[in-house]
Amino acid sequence: MNLAWADIRHHVLRFFLTTIGVGALFTATIGMIGLYRGVVYETLLIINDVGADIWVAQGHRAGPFAELSEVSGTLDRRLEGVPGVSQVRRFIQFNQQYEINGRRLRMAVTGLDFPKDKGNWIPLIAGRHFYAGHYEAIADQSLGFTVGDQIRLGHDDYTIIGVAAGQVDMAGDGILYVTIPDAQTLNTFAPSEAILLNRMNKTAPGRSGYSAGRVGAVMVALRPGADQEQVRNYIRNWGDVEVLTRDDQEDIMLNGRLWRLRIQILAFVGMTLLVTTVVVSLSIYTMTVEKTHQIALLKLLGARDSIIVAMILQQALLIGVKSFASALLQSYVIFPHFPRTVLLLPSDLAVEGAMAIVLCAAASWFGIRKALSVRAQEVLS
Amino acid sequence: MSAAPLISVSQASKVYRIGDAQVRALDEASVEIRAGELVGILGPSGSGKTTFLMIAGLLDTPTSGRVLFNGRVISKPETNLNQLRDFRRKHLGFVFQKANLIPFLNATQNVQIALQINGARRRYAAQRSRLLLEQFGIGNRAKNLPSQLSGGEQQRVAIARALANQPELILADEPTANLDSARGRQVMETFRRLADQERIAICVVTHDLRCVDLFDRCITMSDGRPTVQ
Ligand SMILES: Nc1ncnc2c1ncn2[C@@H]1O[C@H](COP(=O)(O)OP(=O)(O)OP(=O)(O)O)[C@@H](O)[C@H]1O
Ligand SMILES: [Mg+2]
Repeated sequence: MNLAWADIRHHVLRFFLTTIGVGALFTATIGMIGLYRGVVYETLLIINDVGADIWVAQGHRAGPFAELSEVSGTLDRRLEGVPGVSQVRRFIQFNQQYEINGRRLRMAVTGLDFPKDKGNWIPLIAGRHFYAGHYEAIADQSLGFTVGDQIRLGHDDYTIIGVAAGQVDMAGDGILYVTIPDAQTLNTFAPSEAILLNRMNKTAPGRSGYSAGRVGAVMVALRPGADQEQVRNYIRNWGDVEVLTRDDQEDIMLNGRLWRLRIQILAFVGMTLLVTTVVVSLSIYTMTVEKTHQIALLKLLGARDSIIVAMILQQALLIGVKSFASALLQSYVIFPHFPRTVLLLPSDLAVEGAMAIVLCAAASWFGIRKALSVRAQEVLS
Repeated sequence: MSAAPLISVSQASKVYRIGDAQVRALDEASVEIRAGELVGILGPSGSGKTTFLMIAGLLDTPTSGRVLFNGRVISKPETNLNQLRDFRRKHLGFVFQKANLIPFLNATQNVQIALQINGARRRYAAQRSRLLLEQFGIGNRAKNLPSQLSGGEQQRVAIARALANQPELILADEPTANLDSARGRQVMETFRRLADQERIAICVVTHDLRCVDLFDRCITMSDGRPTVQ
């Protein structure tokens, strides 16, 4: 017979409600951390998957993701001659809003350097990669298209040839992959609304502002054994372009663009955990105060402090474990329906679970202090 | 009956301070009880009966004086109350007016808890608890929660709990006050039997003069002083 468990079983409903409530707070924590992980994942998605060792962007710009960048559409040919370079692909990406079948859709239009890049690195869940240089598109599943759909973008009809999983940019817009020439055409076509907006707001820079024939950046893959620093210095010495390695890009994104978000999320997580601690503390304290008479009786019977502390600590840990279990359940049920990716990494969940346990143990402190101050004589009162 | 006393409360006083006022609840009381003795404590309300029981039962330390068990000083004014718990667990049993059962444990578990606190193995504790309940005629109530038991049944569970660790001394404060006279008499007869057969020393505070015939002797308290009759 276990005292902690017997008491909880006697107050099942209250225990259940407590775990649901505390579980919801843990769910919020898991969600906030998962949201951050999702944003990081989506931010680094293309940087990690596209297979570029070096990005060549507009001079003095941390492009093409963190800052607007625009380079000549023929920069790739210059780069092909650089010693140590094995492959060169142009890159273009901009966010645009379209009205398709009466639906307003924001998309991150991304150009692939067909035929060098047929999109083989894109994880498809349906359809195929690129066969033709024009009017084919691979869409992220979040855009809601199916293979074979015809969609009108600008003046042309595009066929959805593939549907990809998890392809979104850092703003959460689903990516639509097309070929570079198509992307350039789409980029120069501005819906009347956009023209109007541009006129009203001449100074505002926008992603969708590439000049004709230009691209955002050029991606360089190195030959095996080539010295990245050497290649980088070689290109940088031209003076008109910025050269960023994959690590540079990651660093710029995480420590430049995302650090505020990270600090903010950390602050929210801290606040939520504080609230959780207070809630659990209060709950344990109340449970202990209600048991004052029983605790006095245990002392009258001669129970050691360790037995009483164990009872309260076990209840706190039970609340922790059950709440976290309920939080896991809530997370896996709710978060897939969120508009932004909430990435639940096992390592994060392990840390969060450990934190839940430690937090509940710490929260039992007030209750334990109260219990230890109870005197056996109180049985008589 | 001239054996050495099991417990001697020696010259014990208890003074409560409320602001500037002092209440001398126990006034240099000396009482000795031997193994196998059933002693009644009588006296008007406020005469210090419960206070005496708390001092003798190591639930409180005296303001002056000492409490000895088998000739050894166990409690004196400077003793730390928490240190008396181990002694209480091993040697004393309590019964009160209210049964004070733990509401979320069933009858067996309420007895079992006293054994488990004392380090008994779970299986032995469960067996002994059931046996005790059967001895008190409530074996069929073993799985009931206190709220499902009558006052008399609850009190019998409380007595079983007090006996669980085979105490040498049982202290009872008006154990029959909530029971009808027949049931009250049964409880006192149980005490008589325990004193005779198990050689347990038992000290019962009571207002019920109908049971006085069962006691070996009675001590009457007045103004914190005991007088033997
Ligand atoms: N904790 C306390 N603080 C102050 N005074 C107390 C305290 N406990 C008891 N007293 C006082 O000590 C005196 C003796 O009290 P005690 O409870 O021992 O009496 P009693 O003989 O058990 O009475 P009753 O028959 O009503 O139970 C009373 O005057 C009471 O008011
Ligand atoms: Mg009293």
